[in-house]
Amino acid sequence: MNPAASTPNTLLMALPKGRMADQALELMASAGLPLPDGQSGRKLILNSADGAMRYVLSKPTDVPTFVEYGAADLGVCGLDTLRESRRQVYEPLLLPFGHCRLCLAGPADAAGGPLRYESQPRVATKYPNLTEEFFRKRGVNAEIIALNGSVELAPLVGLADLIVDIIETGNTLRANGLVEQRVIMHSQAVLVVNRASYHLKAAAVQNVIYRLRLALQAGAAANQDPASKSKASSGV
Amino acid sequence: MMGSDLAAPGAAAHRLILRDAALTYLPASTLGALSSPAGQIPRGVADYFWQEAARRRRLEQALLAVFRSWGYGDVIPPSFEYADTFGRRGSAELQSELCRFLDRDGSMLAMRADMTIAVARLVGTRLHDWSMPQRFCYAGSVFRDVEPRAGQQREFGQAGIELIGSAAPEADAEVLALTAQALQAVGLRDFRIVLGQMQYFDGLLQALQLEPGRQLQLQQAVDRNSEAELAAFLQGAALPRLMHLAVQELPALSGADVETLLDRAAGICLNETMQSAVDNLRAICRVLAAHGVIHMVSLDLTEIHNLGYYTGITFEVLAHGIGYRLASGGRYDNLVGSFGAPQPAVGAAFGLERLLLALDGGKAAVPAPVPVDVLVSGRADAASIELINRARAAGLHVVVDLQQRHGNELWRLAQHQKIGCAVDYGEQAIWLWMAGSDSAGASVGECSPEVLWQQLQRLALAKTARVESDEASL
Repeated sequence: MNPAASTPNTLLMALPKGRMADQALELMASAGLPLPDGQSGRKLILNSADGAMRYVLSKPTDVPTFVEYGAADLGVCGLDTLRESRRQVYEPLLLPFGHCRLCLAGPADAAGGPLRYESQPRVATKYPNLTEEFFRKRGVNAEIIALNGSVELAPLVGLADLIVDIIETGNTLRANGLVEQRVIMHSQAVLVVNRASYHLKAAAVQNVIYRLRLALQAGAAANQDPASKSKASSGV
Repeated sequence: MMGSDLAAPGAAAHRLILRDAALTYLPASTLGALSSPAGQIPRGVADYFWQEAARRRRLEQALLAVFRSWGYGDVIPPSFEYADTFGRRGSAELQSELCRFLDRDGSMLAMRADMTIAVARLVGTRLHDWSMPQRFCYAGSVFRDVEPRAGQQREFGQAGIELIGSAAPEADAEVLALTAQALQAVGLRDFRIVLGQMQYFDGLLQALQLEPGRQLQLQQAVDRNSEAELAAFLQGAALPRLMHLAVQELPALSGADVETLLDRAAGICLNETMQSAVDNLRAICRVLAAHGVIHMVSLDLTEIHNLGYYTGITFEVLAHGIGYRLASGGRYDNLVGSFGAPQPAVGAAFGLERLLLALDGGKAAVPAPVPVDVLVSGRADAASIELINRARAAGLHVVVDLQQRHGNELWRLAQHQKIGCAVDYGEQAIWLWMAGSDSAGASVGECSPEVLWQQLQRLALAKTARVESDEASL
């Protein structure tokens, strides 16, 4: 057995590097689940003190891949990333962080009529699959330009007419003279589980889901924060 | 189908060649470039060679041996058939994944995308008047035009069984028990068979009478196992109390405690269809207990995976370290009838590549050629050839050095190719070289034809013993 892969007695969880990982670990802590043991610097796999859980930090877009292949049993990622990846995993719980929306945006002066009037808009995005699906549903043959970052730049330099990107506050858009035209989907963090692990490690996986659910309910009851209410995805 | 054409340039080019006879007038170099760019192979197919190829064949044979011991007879369906044969019977997904091409008369053909449909066609159209049930087993390639991804290529190996002509729960149990035994026979440990029943969810949908959009929402929520999406569905659908309860309970109907789960499932049945699904599972599980395999079975009534023709139980086999199913199957009572007289049927298919990966613990083995047992060089006369053939008959794999190397040169070649024994069959004398073990170095000695034959017989005996112990673990 590959030592890096998940083993029958432990659960391996893939977390997306960055803020979402911190929030996920915070939630795991409040649920009383074992956390990584100390700061282990450059190590890629972190073990919990009791060895019951192992964690890997990966690029956010890779989390669904790790989980679909069963390299990780569980993972936390955004719904946007998950739908874009088209990976086949279970997604039992929505988690109350990472809220954002995937939007279509364009230059403020060009906003207007229905999208179906557009013949072949060029659309820059980090989400080519969701973007293509969105336009295809409307019968528009969009030219998708896949970028890896600074998508807002594309309309400014004439690379694209429109963009599809994640928006949290909208400040970046406004600063670049772009306006939001359509919401493609609402996104938030979601717990994903490998389909095989769900059955093969049923007890351990169910324990994690159960404890997280309790922690979420306790958290929601404590602060009645509207943002922590689960919101189902729409549009996809 | 334009989408899949665009997605598979290799396949598109292939079709072009088949269709366009005018291409033959092009210079040979152009044609070569079109049909096989720089000697590459299209995406989603693979060369198997060396040990990997040998292991695949051994796996096939080991599975078939178990199937045959339960009375399943071999069947070899054609590699391609009319596209309609697969297209009309499979799910929309299977239909879109057919590798199609044109026949000379313009009819649409497709590479074999599913063994079960082919066997059902055979029984439905040609063997319908033979006594039932009929049992068939197979091993071979299956082709689906998919984006290559987790454990899924465009050509993949399948072995499997079909039991046609019985609707008894004993038939379902036989296929499940045989699946378990075959997996154990090839050395797979620690796997689970996750068992579902299409009728349960179908019955639920019948009872709910949802509009198509809502139905899709429910199917998606169940397929993703998403609490939030199920909650959103329940909120939007505003169902009567009992129906609401039945949907709400659905995610909980999955786990290893089969008895308890079936009791729970029985408690929320909304109609006869759901009830008979539970009764059917109960009956099957009783027989599985008698087969001694019930402890490997989990229940999952939310499993709604379907190739388009399943009508009763469905199941998939999962193992640690592999994130996707190694085998799957189910009952298909309407498939044979679509070709002729209706016959209830149940079957299972095993993914050969996935199974090999699982047997390796999720990590591919280091590629290496399969060494032969004996390397012989020397005069090609009747005596030496007779000896070589005797060794071959005794079970040794013997290769003749066509360059007629002698002495150290021959031993070096044997060592390099990890061949344990080399024979220099010279004009005057016979020299025998044996590779060393860990403790001792290689040995070389002159010997008579009689002594050589004794040595070869010893090798053959040792090999037989080794092969027998190897067969337990593939």
